[in-house]
Amino acid sequence: MNLIRAILLLITLITPLKANTIYNLIKIPNLEIYDINTKNKLKYFYAVSSFRLGVQKNIVCLNPNRNDLEIKYKTIYKNLSRYSYDYLKKINLKYIVLCENLSISGINTAGIPDNIMKTLILDIKFNEKYFERVIHHEVFHIINAQHKKLFNENEWIKFNNPQFKYAKCSTCTKKIGLDTYKKTKGFFTEYSKSTASEDMAEVYSHIISLNKKKIDQIRKLDPILNNKISYIRNKIKQIDNSFKF
Amino acid sequence: MIKKIKASISEKVILIFLILLGISTFGTYFLIKNKCIFVKNYNPKNIDFKNPNNIVVLNAPCGNVIIELYPNISPNGVKRFKTLIESNAYDNVAFHRVIKNKLVQAGDLEFGKKGSLDYEKIGTGKSGLGSIKSEIDNKFNYDKGSVGLARTFKSDTEDSQFFIILQDEPLFEGEYTPVGKVLYGLEVLEKIKHQRHSEYILRPDFINSFKMFN
Repeated sequence: MNLIRAILLLITLITPLKANTIYNLIKIPNLEIYDINTKNKLKYFYAVSSFRLGVQKNIVCLNPNRNDLEIKYKTIYKNLSRYSYDYLKKINLKYIVLCENLSISGINTAGIPDNIMKTLILDIKFNEKYFERVIHHEVFHIINAQHKKLFNENEWIKFNNPQFKYAKCSTCTKKIGLDTYKKTKGFFTEYSKSTASEDMAEVYSHIISLNKKKIDQIRKLDPILNNKISYIRNKIKQIDNSFKF
Repeated sequence: MIKKIKASISEKVILIFLILLGISTFGTYFLIKNKCIFVKNYNPKNIDFKNPNNIVVLNAPCGNVIIELYPNISPNGVKRFKTLIESNAYDNVAFHRVIKNKLVQAGDLEFGKKGSLDYEKIGTGKSGLGSIKSEIDNKFNYDKGSVGLARTFKSDTEDSQFFIILQDEPLFEGEYTPVGKVLYGLEVLEKIKHQRHSEYILRPDFINSFKMFN
């Protein structure tokens, strides 16, 4: 037993010293500061070289091209500036990691939220067409992770027609289209039909992205989406009553 | 009658060389052994403070570190810090986590006490007073010499452990509860024992005493 203890102690003492502050804060290697002097105190980092994360190192992201980063940062900054410091604190989001070609187990994804580390990893090249909306979609996943009890999937499912069933997971379906339907019929996009949490994220991101007139129009024409929009709005108000859509 | 023999020039040169060699050997030995030799030890009694009630003095192996506490910025954090200092809880507690030129961390009252160090658990110990809430909303520049309360990955887990940074750390603002800043004696902390390959220290240096100035 003592020998095992001695070995464990030795391993601890010879572990390489990682004195990188960003790594110590969010446990993601190879990052550097992009911008930390923001109004809402969001801290933006970018990958200087590719990184791998997770127990099985199945999360991979590459370092972005500097020019792409400069262009996309303006868009990301503009969109995330909609959120106040107080709101971000309540949803536990503080760090944004910017990288390129983000994937989990080989499947490309727009973002990976980690509310424990207060971090959202964003792929700056994911879906150029709906890039801005996707940012808010990923923000919702942070909100959902931080306030799991608030967003009840069983309640949500009842908004849909009884015959409708979501897929078992967002990656085990071919319903990945992000084009907004002209005739919504309870769902904003094809991807909304993948899982309840993706549906919630799509509703949230559309409420944020579309103008009030358009949202009001959808609410009048689509009773299911009307209920879903009310649900998301009410829950967000419970988190931060001062938040304005 | 004893006849005096004059030393030749070469003998004199050898003698001078041997004397110089002796001095340099002794001097080098003394300098290497005493890591504190060029560290200025500040006496707080010789200094006028604006807020003497918020001054605390940490005595480490190389001398005094004089810290001003900021109760206006973190009232609960400073209150906890003062409570522990006034009860001499930090005396003989190890600087268990040291990163050269970056930070020193101490204050594990459970597993970091001299004579009962627990290398397996050091850094996880508590004070017995319970955790306090993080106070991170007020503006505070985490520049060199800033003192903050350590915590686990989760907020609101601050207890007795604290750190002092040896370089500017702007990312610490809004992350860790600040309690004060070093006014004098930062060089004392730069001499705290560290290791190249580990943040955690085998046979660490200890806080000799940690007291309120008034």
